[in-house]
Amino acid sequence: MLYLLTILFPIAMAAGLFILRRQSMPATSGAILATLVQAALVIQLPVDAPVRLLGLNLAIDPLGQLVLLTILGVTLFAYVVTLYIAHGENFIPVSMLLLGFASSTVLLLQEPFVATLLLVSSGLIAILSIVDLPSGSSVLVERSPLITALHYLVLVLLAGFAMYMAYVLLTIYWPTDQSGQSSPARLIMALLIVGFGMRLAIFPFHAWLIEVSEHTAPMVSVIIITTLNSVAMLFLISTFQYFPIIVTENERGMQVFMVLGLVSVIVAALFGLATPHLRRTPSYLIVANGGFMVFGVASATSTGLASAILELFNHMVAVIIIYVAMSLLERPDGRPVVTIRRDLLWRWPLAGGGFIIGCLLLVGAPPFSSFTSKVLGYHAAAQAGPAYVVLLTVGLLLMIAAMARLFHERLLGAAEELPTEEMPILLATQEIERQSDRRLLREPTGLVAVMFVLIGLSVVIGLYPQPLLSVVDDVVRGLTFVKVSS
Amino acid sequence: MGEFLDTQWPLIGIAFSAGLILLAQQWRSTILGLFFNYLFVAAFLSQQQFITPDLDIAGMMVSTTVLVKLIAGISAILILTITALTFSRDYEANALDEFSLAELRRQARRAQRQRIVAPMRLADFIVPLWALILAAIASLILPRLYPIGSEEVDFAWYWLTLTGIFTIVTANDLLKLGLGLLLCVSSIDLLYTAIASSVQVFPLAMLGLTTIVLSLSVSYLSGLMYGRLKTLQLNELYQR
Repeated sequence: MLYLLTILFPIAMAAGLFILRRQSMPATSGAILATLVQAALVIQLPVDAPVRLLGLNLAIDPLGQLVLLTILGVTLFAYVVTLYIAHGENFIPVSMLLLGFASSTVLLLQEPFVATLLLVSSGLIAILSIVDLPSGSSVLVERSPLITALHYLVLVLLAGFAMYMAYVLLTIYWPTDQSGQSSPARLIMALLIVGFGMRLAIFPFHAWLIEVSEHTAPMVSVIIITTLNSVAMLFLISTFQYFPIIVTENERGMQVFMVLGLVSVIVAALFGLATPHLRRTPSYLIVANGGFMVFGVASATSTGLASAILELFNHMVAVIIIYVAMSLLERPDGRPVVTIRRDLLWRWPLAGGGFIIGCLLLVGAPPFSSFTSKVLGYHAAAQAGPAYVVLLTVGLLLMIAAMARLFHERLLGAAEELPTEEMPILLATQEIERQSDRRLLREPTGLVAVMFVLIGLSVVIGLYPQPLLSVVDDVVRGLTFVKVSS
Repeated sequence: MGEFLDTQWPLIGIAFSAGLILLAQQWRSTILGLFFNYLFVAAFLSQQQFITPDLDIAGMMVSTTVLVKLIAGISAILILTITALTFSRDYEANALDEFSLAELRRQARRAQRQRIVAPMRLADFIVPLWALILAAIASLILPRLYPIGSEEVDFAWYWLTLTGIFTIVTANDLLKLGLGLLLCVSSIDLLYTAIASSVQVFPLAMLGLTTIVLSLSVSYLSGLMYGRLKTLQLNELYQR
């Protein structure tokens, strides 16, 4: 009953909130309440106690529960943010529906076919929020969100197709020596790499994430990156868990996956370094961090997995901090739209500070929570071989360089001097000829509070990582595909 | 030959209908192709031994699995047909600012002009035709190199996958691209049904749901694009 409620409650709430979607305040308040209720339901779920329903196994493990709670936490913060900044008309119901699909996917991870289809369906639903306009908007939908939605549609479906095919082949798997025919292990691995690569936006399948980040509302990007990608990462781990044959029969394939993760870190960081842009560079850093997590999972070692799982939580927190800060930094500040603003930290010190901390979180700077996961990542790379350490170091240095360039070009530039004294009104001056007042609004306290609560949380976990680490260690110990280090 | 036609007519139907989707340029033909494709896939599945008829409808025994697939497919067709017939997501003229209204008028004029100056050309069929030939060769070879189910099942799903992918690649409008995606979903649906030891209700329902959600997404994007650009041509969308 509780399982069904966890699946159906957000979906029912999404239907209710769809009716209220044009009344921003009641819709957002309802969504906040529904998210809290959903979190209570997830906490109540019996851990590691599978039930059978309609021929399917529903179960939740401690990792799934923790990921789901983090997703709910991030979504809750996203809803609070929508109280302050403009959002699409359908954002609330769509995100609530996505929560329902994410919960279902986490509960149905033992059923790879169903989980794949749920991931595909949630991706298709997310399209609605990509092309969304605020309620009562007087402008037309731009071409760029339409193109983004189209690319996302195709990629989501092709990713699902590749994953589905991999599971079909796993169902009829045969080892090489039995039938005389070569085993499909490599083909399965290739399909999984392509499918999860597209879903997790690792190089060379990362383009959609950059587009989504650039052309959609910040909170839409947050929901897509945190909810859908985190569930996909969990799905990847559970795939290796339920089909350990992929890992044991495919050492070369796992190495390719590891290298692809690190190449993703390097290439995405290079792209980020080449284009110092307020939206593009952080999204490249997010892609690079995704590559880091893939590396950890594909290493199939206890340290690598612990690093990837810890980074997953850190990633979600970093993403929402960055996008909240970004939405504050993008607010009009009296200068023409075409002006390239280089002094954002001096203009919006709190938002600028939050943005810097969010990026630092991604690159694993101490004392934030990501420091521990990056250290564990290095440990996993050292276990895999010196070449991996070099690749990881190059990648992280490039990420730092990309971040530093962005700060230098967009945030830390010299503050523009504001006119100090008002010009006298000359004779025959018309109203239209007078310069408009440069009004600088205050940074919204609520949003800044959201950002700093999340930063505080990250610092606390960074300083006292032991409780989270012990949970992650327990989870990793339960994974059957983990290689025992000699 | 006669015996082959008697037993394999659904397979031939699948081949022709998917080929029609890849080749045709008009939405009426492609949607009709998809409709027949779903019918032939249903007929093909009904012929298979792993599908047992368990439902009596007006004296005719049919399988629930096949019926569910047919209902999902026809729902997708209906969604796309209604979209194609009504198309535009109309903007409320009084809610738009003057720049948006001017942009809408400009796009309408441009689309109208394009319809007049761009009649159907033979050159438009060359790439899809070669893609179709390539798909045919690959669909005949791949079942021998990588057999998964029976030879017929393998040919059917390889054919649907390849024509779907080539339709996506060669599509010049959004609706056709959506049909390519639907062909890909249809192919994994067919493969799952063929290889699953026992077809379960939930995965089957999820496949149907994915088909319907996909057609809804394509319809929504088509409506939005037509409302904005007064055309579904992808080259217009990418024009800056």
